Amino acid sequence: MGSNGLRLPQFRRFGTRLLLLIVALVAVAQCADYVLVRTANRRNAIGRINENLRQGTLLFTRRVDARLDELSGRAALMSDDYSIRQLFLKDQPDPATVRSALDSYKVRMGVPFMALLWPNGARIGDTGGPLPAAALRPFQDLVKVAEVADDSRAKGFARLPPEGPSGKLYSLLVVPIYAPPPEIVAWIGLALPIDHAFAKLLKADAQLEVTFYYGSTSDMLPVESTLQEGIARSSAPPTSNDGIMTVDVGGESYVTAYRPLLPLITPGRAAIALQRSLEEELISSRQLERFLLILLIASLVAAALVAPVFALNLSKPLRALARHTEVIARGDYAIHLRLDRADEIGQLATAFNRMSEGLAERDRVRDLLDKNVSPEVAAQLMRDGGALGGEEREVTILFVDLRSFTRLSESMAPREVLTLLNRYFDRMSGIVEIYHGIVDKYIGDAIMAIFGAPVEQSGHADNAVLAAIEMKSALARLNAELATEGRAKLSFGIGINTSRIIAGNIGSSRRLNYSVVGDGVNVAARLQDLTRMSQFSADILISAATLRAMRGRYRVRDLGAAPVRGRDEPVEVFSVEGAE
Amino acid sequence: MRRVTTLILLAASASALRAAGTVRVVTKDPTGLAVPDAVAYVVALDAPVPVQPPAEPVAITQHDQMFDPYVTPVVVGTSVVFPNRDNVQHHVYSVSPAKKFEIPLYKGESTAAIVFDHPGPVTLGCNIHDWMVAYVFVLSTPYFAKTGADGAADITGLPPGRYRLEVWHPRLAGKVGRELTIAESGDTTQVVSVTLRPDRRIRRAPDGGSSDYK
Repeated sequence: MGSNGLRLPQFRRFGTRLLLLIVALVAVAQCADYVLVRTANRRNAIGRINENLRQGTLLFTRRVDARLDELSGRAALMSDDYSIRQLFLKDQPDPATVRSALDSYKVRMGVPFMALLWPNGARIGDTGGPLPAAALRPFQDLVKVAEVADDSRAKGFARLPPEGPSGKLYSLLVVPIYAPPPEIVAWIGLALPIDHAFAKLLKADAQLEVTFYYGSTSDMLPVESTLQEGIARSSAPPTSNDGIMTVDVGGESYVTAYRPLLPLITPGRAAIALQRSLEEELISSRQLERFLLILLIASLVAAALVAPVFALNLSKPLRALARHTEVIARGDYAIHLRLDRADEIGQLATAFNRMSEGLAERDRVRDLLDKNVSPEVAAQLMRDGGALGGEEREVTILFVDLRSFTRLSESMAPREVLTLLNRYFDRMSGIVEIYHGIVDKYIGDAIMAIFGAPVEQSGHADNAVLAAIEMKSALARLNAELATEGRAKLSFGIGINTSRIIAGNIGSSRRLNYSVVGDGVNVAARLQDLTRMSQFSADILISAATLRAMRGRYRVRDLGAAPVRGRDEPVEVFSVEGAE
Repeated sequence: MRRVTTLILLAASASALRAAGTVRVVTKDPTGLAVPDAVAYVVALDAPVPVQPPAEPVAITQHDQMFDPYVTPVVVGTSVVFPNRDNVQHHVYSVSPAKKFEIPLYKGESTAAIVFDHPGPVTLGCNIHDWMVAYVFVLSTPYFAKTGADGAADITGLPPGRYRLEVWHPRLAGKVGRELTIAESGDTTQVVSVTLRPDRRIRRAPDGGSSDYK
């Protein structure tokens, strides 16, 4: 992530991250679950309501048709009735008799209003009752429809007087009176109110709220409803609508199906609205949703409780491993990590333990090596292995040898001799190492040191000479110590030569020594021999080659040429008195 | 659906001169099929021709729970009897403006004669059997005839002069009529078209006495 990218809060502790991860995953999964279920519930509820509404509108149509069909059947019985025909045997039916007859039929058929019309629609008589004579107009309109209908019947909806809020919607039916069929001598008109009882009946059957509307195209008012007046008024059908939609009434969603009441004989617009509250439909689903919500919270809590334990279970051994690593880094390989686990972390701990064993083994080898060879040689051996071979290189060889030590040692116990010698070697060897040289070997009471191998260094001549000067000081300090101990003092001579020699591991494949081979080694040894000669009376003698290789400034005395054993040519000898 | 039938009247011309002319009327619907039971009649326009009802009453019988004939043209003043030749009672009635009457439940030959004293169509029914229907067409002219199964009707004995030819049928939609002149020289041919309403007669009830279950 770039620094300009989204910055997420960084949690250093693994446990915290794991906790957050698990809780987040659980939260996302559960929330998605909840949202999906909620959405699906709502969709299903709307689907169910839609289906109910479709069934409801069918039911309404069937109910209205069935009611009218039944009435139509009864009216047919009436129209074929002998007594009705009797009325028409007179030139003009007697109005009072017609009224009485219709009243009788009204009761027999269970309708609130009946009218008898001539074939041309003119009034013969009616039952009166709730409808005034003006209510006949829609029947007359229906007669015109019935005249041309195959079954000589017509039906429709009408809003009948009185005008105003007390006016009602009616189902109208017109059937013929035959004398005999197909001769129509009169029409019977019937009106069935679409009243509250009918709305309640529909509601009981369809389990839907039922509202009937009537009004102009733009403004429709509820005339009957199973809903509260206000709700019914708020969900009045929109202009010229026929379909299903969700209407928001007082914050509650009602899925509503509108269906126009057709044919409508009187002017205006009439419609039935079937409704169901979405909330009511969702009641059973809400329980599931509440349960899911509880489940969501419970899983979050469970995740929050379990995750830290799990994280701790993981991070604790990791921290132990980290601590163990630090212990190993400090070089302590003795401590073993103890984790009783079979998983990857357990495998890691086992691998760590093996590693520390391996490291301990290597250290032991290294330690031994260090004590037997110089650290540089040991490092090279560790690095390159014990390969035989060598390389030619310029080095400075230093020989230091105790004078008269054999004679001195004769007056001491062997153990004392070894102790003293080791004490002396310890000081001198330390100085060699300080100046980046290596102790090539101890030859009796002599030390052979090499500067410039196995690690190549530019100032090997200076290092050798400085080491020699330092050795002199160290010897003085050692002698002071010896004097306080009441012992005889020591003296030595140092020969230094710089030369190209062969450096490498010398020996058999079973036993090797890192050393140098070449004439230059002998020259250094001979120079050391020369320090004993009185004509030189010097502790540090160097060759001309060393003098040339030196870069620092020293107090050097030219002692002239001196013959050396094993060489035909005399060697130029210089004494180093000290550093400037 | 309303089926519309066009009745075409062909008044065939006669070549021979006669003292009294004849108008032959052939009725056909638009598909060319003959239309029976149409009453074709002519009304004299020059001077009214008195009608003489027949001395014997005309009979419209009830047989097999049907009226026979289906259409009966008569002149004003004709007496009609309704002999019942079924073994069930009938209750013949009419509420038509031209003649309102009823003969309550009866059986047998002998019934009172009904005098049709006003011109116009009269629909007959039976209060017991809804499907029974017949028509009496009461005319104030002596010149009429009813089309047969072949759709043809001959109006005979017409003195020369101007007439109005009209056709009536139980399902007649609208009025059909035209003027025609009967010449001294012989028979006249006239063509008149009419429209019929769909036939809406109801089916008769299944025979209650039948027990031939299958």
